[in-house]
Amino acid sequence: MTRSWSRTSRVIAGTATALAVLTACGGSGDDTANSTAKKPNGPVTLTFWGWAKGSKDVVDAFNASHTDIQVKFEEIPSGTAGGYAKISNAVKAGNAPDLVSIEYSSLPEFVSSGALQDIGGEFTEADRAKLLPQTVELTTLGGKSWAVPFDAAPQAFFYRKDLFAKYKLQVPTTWDEFKKAAEQVRKADAKARIATFFPDDPTTFEAMAWQAGAQWFKAENDTWKIDTTDAATTKVAGYWQGLLDAGLVHKNASFSPEWTGSLKNGTTIGYLGASWGAGVLKGTLPEQDGKWGVAPMPSWDGKPASGMLGGTSFAVTKDSKQRAAAVTFAEWMSTTEAGVKARIASGTSSAFPAATALRPVAKKAFDASYYGGQDIYALFEAAGASISPNWAWGPTTGTTNTTIKDHFGKITQDGPGIADAVKAGHDATVAELTKRGLKVEG
Amino acid sequence: MKARTRAATILLTPFFLLFTVVMVVPIGYAVWLSLFTEKQSGLGFGGTETVFTGLDNYTAALGDRAFREGFGVLLGYCLLYIPLLLAGALGLALLLDSALARARRFFQLALFLPHAVPGIIAALIWVYLYTPQLSPVVQAMEAGGIGFDFFSPEGALPSVVNIALWEWLGYNMVIFYAALQAIDRSVLEAATVDGAGAWRIAFSVKVPLVKASLAMVALFTIIGSLQLFTEPLILNKGTGSAVTSTWTPNMYAYTAAFDRNDYGLAAAASVLLALTAALLSFAVTRMTGRRKAGKERTA
Repeated sequence: MTRSWSRTSRVIAGTATALAVLTACGGSGDDTANSTAKKPNGPVTLTFWGWAKGSKDVVDAFNASHTDIQVKFEEIPSGTAGGYAKISNAVKAGNAPDLVSIEYSSLPEFVSSGALQDIGGEFTEADRAKLLPQTVELTTLGGKSWAVPFDAAPQAFFYRKDLFAKYKLQVPTTWDEFKKAAEQVRKADAKARIATFFPDDPTTFEAMAWQAGAQWFKAENDTWKIDTTDAATTKVAGYWQGLLDAGLVHKNASFSPEWTGSLKNGTTIGYLGASWGAGVLKGTLPEQDGKWGVAPMPSWDGKPASGMLGGTSFAVTKDSKQRAAAVTFAEWMSTTEAGVKARIASGTSSAFPAATALRPVAKKAFDASYYGGQDIYALFEAAGASISPNWAWGPTTGTTNTTIKDHFGKITQDGPGIADAVKAGHDATVAELTKRGLKVEG
Repeated sequence: MKARTRAATILLTPFFLLFTVVMVVPIGYAVWLSLFTEKQSGLGFGGTETVFTGLDNYTAALGDRAFREGFGVLLGYCLLYIPLLLAGALGLALLLDSALARARRFFQLALFLPHAVPGIIAALIWVYLYTPQLSPVVQAMEAGGIGFDFFSPEGALPSVVNIALWEWLGYNMVIFYAALQAIDRSVLEAATVDGAGAWRIAFSVKVPLVKASLAMVALFTIIGSLQLFTEPLILNKGTGSAVTSTWTPNMYAYTAAFDRNDYGLAAAASVLLALTAALLSFAVTRMTGRRKAGKERTA
């Protein structure tokens, strides 16, 4: 009997390990975050978590030029790749860093879970006026200011200039032209495709819907109105379903080895991304120096239009006792010439600053020779101005995006499609808001 | 007598201390967490309030199709995996049992080796081998006219089963091999004298004699399957495969906690899973216990 019992308890022990993982996570954080608060003499020490390109360089530059505040930077995985989970767990465990990077899409979720502090007192009206209004709007929730916007991320189309010339292709300006170009690419080389559908990344699709004028999350009075199946989204979903069904685009996970592999061997000749993608391509494919060009995102009617894909802001966590210093550092990164310059001069970042006055600085700091000297910042400038201001993010991005991603993975030729995935995301969002006790329509 | 009690107390204390800290306390905390939900008001930007909601999280988990489907996936996984595992491991063990001594040692090591690779590494290697544009395997299959998408809804389950087989086949083969080695050689000699060939000996003599270890491996594999997590998680992250974030009940709990920030739901799902495991283990213990008792009586 004792032997059998030990077997049973071994099994229970295994399951309990799973429980222990759930309950004990977050211990991996940095315990010194809060304990180093205000020494009477000497500098204030801050901890900062982020993953954006060039963050390390910015922190080094800040530390070199400041004596009153010193920042300790820790690189974490990008938000949806585990970074957000790490941050929420650290906040729950009470050992979060002072300052964290959060994309606009996830900011409402962090605010609603009570993980952040209102920084309205330090991040004043005058500071906000320096930034692109759309980004300020995305960081002002419930009438309070929650984060310092760093970049706007207007969409852009990156393409292989040499292969476009070889296949005698015009750079498409509308989605109709894009589809024709996609057909021509495949005709010219049966293995090549113009771009990629990312089944693991709903945010790219959401930016497309945003560009088309969709409004998934609307806050009216005290009620969330959820509509992910409006006409604009349906149009975008149908268009991409058509490209997939006709085999005109690749279907690969974003930034995966197969995606980069296909870029390297020239079987993917375009990338529908955003401003920060310029630095990513340059860093990923150094051997294709001079072969890439950047174009505005194709639009539905040929007029400039853009959604926002990603875009980072800096927020102060709930328990930080150094809010003022953290905001000072965040503002230095976002709104000073030295801060922006340090990041872009690292060579890996092509961020498009939310601070309008600093765009010439970014342009000067970015070595555009990879793009044959093209003035890509002028292009981002125009695209940034065309970002539709109507889009807002809801407080359940985690649920919405996980659900859509799960259903994107199930897309098959004759089975469920993109529209079904978006509908599933809608239902999950409504259910989640209801479970939290919020009023929902949709 | 008193000295013995004291020795037992001293020797057992470390166990019970650890048992309390790493098992009882976390389970208790999970049960506690599962009774609460974080509620918000207005648009949700005013922070959260932790409210006692009784068994609401349990009904929410049980009412969620994704959670129930997770158990369905486990069932399908067991139905496909266990027969393959048993047949494969037993077949290999029988081969080894009748092979030359030198080859025996080599194959025993070679077949066991994959088990030494951590599950996460194994999954990463297999993801590479499953990815159409990268994998030499997929390319070879395509050249041979076999188009199979390992990431498709139909391919997901076989893909995970294949990884698990690769990891566990050698391990279970060693168990069967040990059982085969324990068979009294005189029984085999008697069978040979009676004119039985190698096949006949294998299936009519050896297999019936190792039935007990077959049953044991099957039952432990079923219970172990409840914890299926690492391999499908790797297939879920960064491949765009049909393996969803809630594919198994364990993944459901993980996603609830880390993607949805719903610790109450995650705790409830974990407790439900633990209860299932406990019930199954109890059933297994009873069954094996009865088998043993029955055997002793007939012997």
